[in-house]
Amino acid sequence: MKVVGITTQQEFFIGSKDRNFRINEFLIIQDPFQGDLLGEVVEAKTFNRYIPLNIYGDFVDNAVLESLKALGYDVDEDTIYICKVRLINEALYPVETGSDARLPKFEEVKDFMVRTYPEEGFVLGVIRNTDDMAFEMDEELKGILHTFEDGVLKEQRELPYIMDVKSMHHYPHIGIFGGSGSGKSFGLRVLLEEVMLKDIPTIVLDPHFEMDFSTIQSHFEDRKEIFKQKFKCLQVGSHVGVKFEDLRSGDLKNLLDAASPLTDAMNNVVDIIFRKKESYTSFSNRLKMLSEAQEAGSSGEIENRIRNAKNDDEKRAWEERRNMYQTYDKTCPYSSVRGVLWRLNRLYNEGIFSKDSREIESSLLDSKLVVIQGSTRILQVYSTYLLNTLYHRRRDYKDALYKQLPAEFFPPFLVVTDEAHNFAPKGYDSPSKSIIKEIAQEGRKYGVFLTLATQRPTLLDETVTAQLNTKFIFRTVRASDIDTIKEETDITFEEAKRLPYLRTGDVFISSAVVGRTIFARIRAAYSTSPHTLNPFDELWNKSKEDDDRYYDIIMKKLPISEVDMLNVIQEIEKEEGITLTLGRLEDKLQSLAKKQYIKKEETFLGYRYIKV
Amino acid sequence: MYSLNKDLSNRIKDVNTDLSNRFNSIFNKDKDRLRNFIQSNVGMILTLEKLTGSELEDIKIRGGLVGVDGSNNRMGGSYPHYIEAFQAMAKSTIRMNEPIFVSRVYTPLLDERIQNNLDTDEEIPEENKDSILAGLEVEAAIEAVKRLNPHIVLMDGGLIRYNIYAAEKWQELMLLCIEKDILLAGVIKDIKTSIIGDELKRSFKDINGILYDRELLYGLLNYGEYIPIGEDVNKKERKGYTSAFIRSSLLPMVIGLDILNEQGQYLEYISRLVLSLTPENSRGVPLWLDIVDKEVKISDDMLKALLERYLDRGIYQRFFVSERDKRS
Repeated sequence: MKVVGITTQQEFFIGSKDRNFRINEFLIIQDPFQGDLLGEVVEAKTFNRYIPLNIYGDFVDNAVLESLKALGYDVDEDTIYICKVRLINEALYPVETGSDARLPKFEEVKDFMVRTYPEEGFVLGVIRNTDDMAFEMDEELKGILHTFEDGVLKEQRELPYIMDVKSMHHYPHIGIFGGSGSGKSFGLRVLLEEVMLKDIPTIVLDPHFEMDFSTIQSHFEDRKEIFKQKFKCLQVGSHVGVKFEDLRSGDLKNLLDAASPLTDAMNNVVDIIFRKKESYTSFSNRLKMLSEAQEAGSSGEIENRIRNAKNDDEKRAWEERRNMYQTYDKTCPYSSVRGVLWRLNRLYNEGIFSKDSREIESSLLDSKLVVIQGSTRILQVYSTYLLNTLYHRRRDYKDALYKQLPAEFFPPFLVVTDEAHNFAPKGYDSPSKSIIKEIAQEGRKYGVFLTLATQRPTLLDETVTAQLNTKFIFRTVRASDIDTIKEETDITFEEAKRLPYLRTGDVFISSAVVGRTIFARIRAAYSTSPHTLNPFDELWNKSKEDDDRYYDIIMKKLPISEVDMLNVIQEIEKEEGITLTLGRLEDKLQSLAKKQYIKKEETFLGYRYIKV
Repeated sequence: MYSLNKDLSNRIKDVNTDLSNRFNSIFNKDKDRLRNFIQSNVGMILTLEKLTGSELEDIKIRGGLVGVDGSNNRMGGSYPHYIEAFQAMAKSTIRMNEPIFVSRVYTPLLDERIQNNLDTDEEIPEENKDSILAGLEVEAAIEAVKRLNPHIVLMDGGLIRYNIYAAEKWQELMLLCIEKDILLAGVIKDIKTSIIGDELKRSFKDINGILYDRELLYGLLNYGEYIPIGEDVNKKERKGYTSAFIRSSLLPMVIGLDILNEQGQYLEYISRLVLSLTPENSRGVPLWLDIVDKEVKISDDMLKALLERYLDRGIYQRFFVSERDKRS
């Protein structure tokens, strides 16, 4: 292997007569003047000047090549291999043409490729095309993971990609980009598994209901219990919610805004009417009374109602309405009060106020991974409140520490979300965007970290994208997303070209820690998503199940003739508790006959079904 | 758009008319009649089989095939301010045998014959170039025969050329080959003989002008057919060669083959080898000779790079850069 052609300080070509190059593999260039330089293959090509055999415009057929081979000359051996190499660190001078190149030893790339050991990092996958040096690596790096390739589980053959957890202190936020089916959700799963293994408190917003870690892949039976105590799935409305009494007026406004954007007047209504530590019932009652009083129209009309009240209760109620009316009518226009009221009702109907978030907080204190599930809209609403609350608890604690005041401990934590473009969209405001932006910009100081996954990086808020220090880029086909990725990462032109063709699970990891992009493959996950059953299998299994059930019932009743079907229906209803209509029984019999479980036979009394 | 000179186009049309007038009488003759004429007066038209795998294997065991070719290129202006590089190569199909290169550089500025003859502004004869090239090719072949001991040596071009330009060395090579039982042959891409035309003229007195084999044989033979030329009509016979015409590819053009008289019985065998090594969809040249040709070729870029690298800047500019080179 030698450096050939014109070289620069960063890029040059290496040619070899006998060794084919692989993309992303590392080479050491032995420059006679500058010493050993480490470079990475960014483009690999082979070339044979006789194949596709175009010598002076002639196309050579196989017969001739075979003849030449028989004569002792194999044109294949004239193939030469060429690769474009980019230096990891720019050299001072252009690399000397003619310098030898060789494969690096593990020790030479160790600092660069393996920045930390499994105990202190997330073991996320393998670095592609590093098998040549993998056998020299330290024992504790060997056999720590499996990969899934072409449908088969494979032992680790390459260097592991281990993400340094502690470096998140400096480079806190992670982005995971990739089209659907590219392995993005699966990469997220592996990351979360590692998070759990390291006992890092984490909030996962899961609009897809897929981040469940209780089913373990059959290959990893021995790890069956590993995640059991480490995560909790909580659904908004049924397990967790907002405790109304804990709300501050700012929180409430955020929540109402998430339900549907608030106008200034509505904000004002909340500010005026809401009292701290008030219950939901009290607040909504007072709003209701005010709106009813306003509906009455005027003080005179209300006085009228008081006078004409049928009983004391009604009288008292209208008196209260009168007081509300007198205090608030000037400052709270009717339409705004109605607006606040229906937003409040909407949230209430979604069950958000029926529970509290205490379980989330205690789980975080226990260093667990909390998966919060709900529809995208509910999650938008709820996460706004939740993240605000949690972030500020952590922040207050840290600020207090700084000011040397006593404060209740609240741990640093990780916020993870799929479909992040729904939570921090570009171009328009969404309630959750401001808190995510805040965490993106100053979360580092307080130890609150973001991991945002999305298939549309283009739709993600730019301020947020700019703060993502480590990016996992899976297969991406959409041109606009590739452009965004090119802008936002240090991915090279050659790598960007490969993005649409990456295999599922292969990923470019662009990390500020390493300062360049690593081509890796995500390891096999220990757990599986609950949505792995193919919907078509589900359909067919269901119909099979159905068939089996009816088969058993019907077999007992055979032979069934046309005339006594009604009797059979009654018997089945009595014995099995299944009500069939005549038409449906006939359908079942016909379909069983078609599948040749039973036989249809003509008799002089019409047809009948019998056993085969 | 280039504007066409009417006169020029007319002149080209005239050439077309003249050629078709002169040859129509012959080309329009029934293809079979011409084939019959050739069969009875020049040589049988026979069909060749490609060599079998084991026959090819056998060649390899006996030392393989060596292809020999040469190339020259020149740089600079007109006489005597130019420099010319020559290179010949013998390459064996046995891969471990390193190819043999011989080369020479010539410039009239250093030619002693001219140095002694300064008053005459005469250019030295053109055959000088041919003899250098032919000489180098034969040298390379001799070297290959001595060192590699191949079974067959295939020269690029007819063998007569070597009699003319490198007689002594050629003699040496021929003797060596006969002695070591090495088959020596030459493949002629552009045949320039007029054997059939001469026979035609002898039989049909009304034909005048020269009829070359090239145009007569165009499209006449089928793919894989060849004509071993009868001893009595082959003029090369007198120089000691046995020849054949072969249609070795789907292109209608025919190529020629020369081998030594002493090895005449191998004419068919070598023809079959040529057929085996020629791609169907090619110009009819055995691939091996193309490969050798490609490797031996001194390209303009290569020569320029060599001159720039190894000549002092001053010398290069002063002697060998012409006005034409500076055009861009």
